[in-house]
Amino acid sequence: MPRYRFDDEDVVVIVGSGAGGGTLANELCQQGVKVVVLEAGRHHAPDDFINDEWRSFKQLAWLDTRTTSGSFRVARDFPNLPAWICKTVGGTTVHWAGCCPRFMPHEFKTSTYYDGVECNMLDWPISYDDVAPYYDRAEEKIGITSTHGIPQLPANNNYKVFANGAQRVGYKRFHTGRYAVNPVPRDGRPASIQDGFSFQGDKTGAKWSTLVAELPKAARTGKLDLRPESHVIRIGHDDRGLVTGVTYIDGDGLEQFQRARIVAVAGNAIETPRLLLNSASSLFPDGLANSSDQVGRNYMRHLTASVYAIFDKPVRMYRGEPMAGHIEDEAPNNPERGFVGGYYLQLLSLGIPFMAAFMDPGGFGPEFTSAIEGYENMAGMWLVGEDMPQATNRVTLNHDVRDQYGQPVPNVHFDDHENDLTMREHAWSAGEALYQSVGAVRTIRTPPYPATHNIGTARMSTRPDDGVVNAFGQAHDVPNLFVSDASQFTTGAAANPTLTIVALAIRQAEYIVDQLKTNAIPTGRFAWDGRDPGGPAPVRPELTSAHGG
Amino acid sequence: MAEALSTDVREALLRATRAIFPHDDLPDEAYRKVVDALEADAQNDEDVRRTIEAGAAEIEHQVNPPSREEGSDLFKLIHASAVVELYDNPLVWKAFGYEGPSTHLGGYVDRGFNDLDWLPDPPIELDATAGSPRS
Repeated sequence: MPRYRFDDEDVVVIVGSGAGGGTLANELCQQGVKVVVLEAGRHHAPDDFINDEWRSFKQLAWLDTRTTSGSFRVARDFPNLPAWICKTVGGTTVHWAGCCPRFMPHEFKTSTYYDGVECNMLDWPISYDDVAPYYDRAEEKIGITSTHGIPQLPANNNYKVFANGAQRVGYKRFHTGRYAVNPVPRDGRPASIQDGFSFQGDKTGAKWSTLVAELPKAARTGKLDLRPESHVIRIGHDDRGLVTGVTYIDGDGLEQFQRARIVAVAGNAIETPRLLLNSASSLFPDGLANSSDQVGRNYMRHLTASVYAIFDKPVRMYRGEPMAGHIEDEAPNNPERGFVGGYYLQLLSLGIPFMAAFMDPGGFGPEFTSAIEGYENMAGMWLVGEDMPQATNRVTLNHDVRDQYGQPVPNVHFDDHENDLTMREHAWSAGEALYQSVGAVRTIRTPPYPATHNIGTARMSTRPDDGVVNAFGQAHDVPNLFVSDASQFTTGAAANPTLTIVALAIRQAEYIVDQLKTNAIPTGRFAWDGRDPGGPAPVRPELTSAHGG
Repeated sequence: MAEALSTDVREALLRATRAIFPHDDLPDEAYRKVVDALEADAQNDEDVRRTIEAGAAEIEHQVNPPSREEGSDLFKLIHASAVVELYDNPLVWKAFGYEGPSTHLGGYVDRGFNDLDWLPDPPIELDATAGSPRS
């Protein structure tokens, strides 16, 4: 693996190695572009992952301090953990389960299709047809079941309950998922052994992640300089407002500056706006790329809720892929239900440690303990739907609380929109009805918990005063700055975001390569003041082992 | 090393934890893990020690508040610790039918991931006649 010098003017610096950053890195490296990926977390090999929910959480989750405000229940239940995302090479693709629905066409144009809902809605500057070819490439790249000749995953126990219930309540569109776990060996990775620990990183590699797929492929081009334990705190710019590079804290606690031709930010929708806001300067007093005042705003976290049901016979839902089941019937926009947008019902299983933590946060006494005692006979589902963009739902810098690097921590403010609340009630009721149709003796409504889907805080727009980036994720204000994660989503749709993040990253890479070829993106000017900038230390041996050569 | 909690205080914590998270079938050993964790916290944090030692005499009358938020300081401390420590225990997993780590055993692909037999096997593929999802 190369080590580019700190003063290398040609490198594209990508902040974050998850679905957006990791995919963009590979796509650029395949085209011969020199890439530096700065990842805040450590580099774990799949064999290091742990089949234990709490220990794995401590190994992989982003646990740097964050604060919360607003009326959402997470602010009470988990005040310093608004999001359940990862700080590790591979980002949150290490934790995700693998659900891959595409957006529906109307979900790119919600301002047009959703009537009578007051919020900060905006149509995307692109349509479904613009993204469709990239969805196709993303599905092939990831290896999604039921696409490109890849079979469906088999039914596990939890799915049998879920799908029988779906049939009995009259749903028509259900299956074991458009799912990013191999049902058969593919792309150098094995088939699922149904071990049930893909949330904990997946020790087997059957699940697509940037850790086991995109980054090793990028490394094999010889173009990737991957630097784990490199936490970016600021993006620098010149007097014309062009990005010059990034300042980061390396694994030894030393501050470094990496020069960049282009900077692409993919730190997830809390860290991405935090970094832009923290890069404020006399030229950009409200934060970098923030002339629209939309950086950090329109934070979305999806509807989210769960339903668990206890039966009088064993289910053993924890055996098998935890989310390999999917019902689409409630996903379309059908305002007759009393809300706009829609939601999916998806399989979900947690082990006992996380069931205790998340099933009923704050619960205790016999009502709580009797549910846990029903664990073996329990089935579960997750409800994921579109939430409304609101300008006041917002990531800001909390200057009263500092992180380990002395930087202000992000505060996440969130109030549920009336539409979100109505949809959640509908979804809970639908889930309960499904389980009751197959004989549930008890159903449990689980509230939203720390969000894994974080969306919208640097949104795409046609006009620079409506949003932060253009149709390719390029900042309206700063042409050599890109946003490459779900922060750029104009609206959230009902679908799990990863497939769309990957599709947009493939599309963005194509755009960047074209723009570099024609020299259409200007370069920031930077002087080193005569000192030798040198370069980072050579790669330590243990950091190369996970790349598989 | 900082001083351990007294036997009386440990006993009070054990009884309170059992009352807050009552599982008749679990042995005291499972609850003692929570008490050990609280004791370790007390040894590292004087505020925790004060909360425990000041509240222990009354805690058995405070195990059923209307909500966690309305519980005493010690109630909240026990709740926060127990909801993690009690259920992060293979002994408890076994009691309630969770098998824990599985990858090293080959997962469940040949060990019952689909052994549920009280419902018919449903289709796994989308019904081609189901119509479009698009509105």
